[in-house]
Amino acid sequence: MAKAFKYGLKGITGYLEPAERDLLRSLIADVISMLQPEDRTGQDPLAALIGLDMDVAEPTDRAVKRLLPNVVKDDGAASLEFRQLTERSLRETKIGALRAAALDLDKDEVVLTPDGARHWSMALNDVRLVLAERLDIRDEADAEHVHRMQDWSQAEDVESYLALVYNFTTWLQESLVQAMLQSMETRR
Amino acid sequence: MTISVAPGPDTQEGIRTGTAESTDSLTAPDIPWNLVIWNDPVNLMSYVSYVFQSYFGYAESKANKLMMEVHKKGRSIVASGSKEQVERHAVAMHGFGLWATVEKASGGPGGSAGRSGGPGQGKGKRG
Repeated sequence: MAKAFKYGLKGITGYLEPAERDLLRSLIADVISMLQPEDRTGQDPLAALIGLDMDVAEPTDRAVKRLLPNVVKDDGAASLEFRQLTERSLRETKIGALRAAALDLDKDEVVLTPDGARHWSMALNDVRLVLAERLDIRDEADAEHVHRMQDWSQAEDVESYLALVYNFTTWLQESLVQAMLQSMETRR
Repeated sequence: MTISVAPGPDTQEGIRTGTAESTDSLTAPDIPWNLVIWNDPVNLMSYVSYVFQSYFGYAESKANKLMMEVHKKGRSIVASGSKEQVERHAVAMHGFGLWATVEKASGGPGGSAGRSGGPGQGKGKRG
């Protein structure tokens, strides 16, 4: 059973069972594969070099769109223009945090530097955003409904399993963020 | 994690670049833009407050107040500045997984921009 993250002399530490680390690793890999930019061989190499992507489009997958949202509400054209300039590097930022978190998963005890903790919090958040889309969490009532699933013996179908996984990652992220806030307070 | 004692986004590291200033002067010298954070049922309240504290350098009390405004009213203006500045913040917020949009400080979508509560309102409203 995982232990909540805590802030102490060694920094921010947590403990995860091998099965929990395998689960997180596969969730992270799923999100990375959703964020991986398509390989566009015909792209202007100079544009690619500076992160411009003129072929970018608003994501059709709702989970991807939640990870890479429009920057101007109700203005697809302005949002698209912004995507051309920023989406590639946003994808890379997210993939970077997810990969960094995955690298910390090779031991039961997870010891995080301040940067490592930030990457973990971002990675867990993105994992939760994707799970929430798959679970159709649209409002607080949906979230509350999912939150009630706490017992692994209730896992009887894909949805209940996903709900339990979502609740596990929520619990983990909450404990991590509390430890991070504590560490910020101590250093102030 | 960066901890800044900066009072607001205007002094955020890396924002004042030459390009930013020259672009600003070409477009809208004194029309402020707002960075809006929207409520969603997934992001943890603690995490949203952490992001406001660590990224913007806001004090815990200010970060919590803005976070509660997002939670209760559905949205909050958490920073204002030039278009380029708030767009940069928006990308950073998207990096953290927060749902952020930018809008002109006056007459933004829904007509709710510039309402009280967030930082930086009341200056240069126009339109």
